[in-house]
Amino acid sequence: MASTTATPSASPSWWTYIQRRKTRNYIFAALFVLPAVVNFLIFRYIPIVWAARASTWQYSLLGGYRDWIGADHYLRALEDPILLKSLQVTFLYVIVKLPLEVALALALAIFTNQAIRGMGTIRTIVFTPVVMSMVVVSVVWALILNADSGLLNAFLRTLGLPKQVFLSNPKLSLPSVITATIWKDVGFSTILIVAGLKGIPRIFYEAAVMDGANRWHLFCHVTLPLLRRTLLFVIVTQTIFSFQVFIPVYSMTQGGPLDSTKVIVYYIYQLAFRFQDMGYAAAVSMILLLILLLISVTQMRFLRSDVEY
Amino acid sequence: MSAADPRRAAQIVGWFFILLAYLLIALIFLTPMLWMIGSSLRPSPEVFQYIFPLSWRTFIPIQFTLHNFADIFGISEQGRALGFQFGRALLNTAFVSTAVVGSSLVVNTLAAYFFARLEFPYKNVLLVFVLGTFFVPQEATIVPLYIVVRQLGFADTYWALILPWYASPFVIFVLSQFFQEIPKELDEAAIIDGASLLGVLRHVIVPNARVGLLTVSLLEFQFIWNLFFWPLIATGQKELQVIQVAVATQITQREIAWGRIFAGGVVASLPVIFLFLALQRYFVEGVALSGLKG
Repeated sequence: MASTTATPSASPSWWTYIQRRKTRNYIFAALFVLPAVVNFLIFRYIPIVWAARASTWQYSLLGGYRDWIGADHYLRALEDPILLKSLQVTFLYVIVKLPLEVALALALAIFTNQAIRGMGTIRTIVFTPVVMSMVVVSVVWALILNADSGLLNAFLRTLGLPKQVFLSNPKLSLPSVITATIWKDVGFSTILIVAGLKGIPRIFYEAAVMDGANRWHLFCHVTLPLLRRTLLFVIVTQTIFSFQVFIPVYSMTQGGPLDSTKVIVYYIYQLAFRFQDMGYAAAVSMILLLILLLISVTQMRFLRSDVEY
Repeated sequence: MSAADPRRAAQIVGWFFILLAYLLIALIFLTPMLWMIGSSLRPSPEVFQYIFPLSWRTFIPIQFTLHNFADIFGISEQGRALGFQFGRALLNTAFVSTAVVGSSLVVNTLAAYFFARLEFPYKNVLLVFVLGTFFVPQEATIVPLYIVVRQLGFADTYWALILPWYASPFVIFVLSQFFQEIPKELDEAAIIDGASLLGVLRHVIVPNARVGLLTVSLLEFQFIWNLFFWPLIATGQKELQVIQVAVATQITQREIAWGRIFAGGVVASLPVIFLFLALQRYFVEGVALSGLKG
């Protein structure tokens, strides 16, 4: 009799013991992730909330908050020709730079992945600009592209071609910025693709060769499909990075000439720090944020709907 | 014999094209760097004098000088007069980069271990919270970030350059990928031997993820070393200036001295390039293992 009454009371205490232990483990586990979560909350999420708030106020760094103006900044954005222009420039930059860079990186990766001596060296050379800063690369390229004493014009003259004013010609300024940034970034994509290439089992190539495939077949039917995940990863990350281009514009062209290189982040920078229009800068930041989130979500869909090999 | 000859010829043509492509790639990627280094070691007028026609003189100094470096480090009369303090800027940058890498190694390792191994209710929601920050473009929120940092009282201090970066969604993601590759049986064996969670982390996870930790540290170091936009906004006083800002402000000055710009570029780039060359072997291995490739 005593044992039967003891059993039901023992069961809850055993249960609470487990529960308490579990809770204790959870609290202990939470301590591992807490510092990172605090960082992201303060330095990444709160600024977004703040930007959302500031975008509905008249606000400047010096004057602080003045009047609440609701959606006025967003209405103004809809009719802002410079914003429209800067969005066009940014999209153009991404749409031209991205495919060029990925194609070049693919070519470089396949080329340097050949079992030939010296390929490791060339890979290192291509990768070196990646670890250089965007500031140094832009500053040096600004001098390379200099109209009077630049290295590229010296090269053109040697070939007997006319000199170009690369950075002051609205037709050549954006291509110039794109060239400099591809030169800097292509090594990173190359390294990732090389890693992807090394991950493709040799047996696939051997099987295809036995079936009589030539090099082009191998590339189209073995390399490309099996590199799909790598390439998508490269494209997704490079898209996000490319949309945030700022430094080369800041140090090579200052957005000019005729706003031909005024990318969106440079416009935000101007609004906030040159024109002291912090509230509107926050609104434009929110618009950029929204565009980037939409693009990432779309791209992640592609990335996820993929097969493993 | 007659069948072998065309094949041999095709092979030679193939080798020729590979060599040509090889040289072209080397030329495109090395020329700007060699021009920068060569021009940093000559007086500015010499840069213009030998730019055309193109020859070895375009790249190799005729009158070798360290004057540009003396200028930017504020050692020479002229450099002091112009207020250049690249030495100070280098030290600032080295200090900030090391502090971020150090703190990030601890914080991100703990967080990555949490996501790779520990049990927690709604862990997936937390993961989305962490990785979500990866898609928040830093350049778009840098202005509001400045306001937050200013309200916390960190503006224009070293804290402003360190605190926002001590945790990284990217590093947490990559490290947790590495940690997941380590067999769980090792953890279990350690726990049976009486190890705590921290003990498992110290004696099982960290020793088995050395390549991963080194790779992310290297990437993080160059990321912080090369930061420009944030330090430009977050700090105003010269004493806190980092090297990238020092290099960039040269080109916005009225009189642009090419020699000094090149010298600044060399000084700002070489430390990171040497670091990567020294640790290249681990880095390539790390990228290949990390799932960074997708």
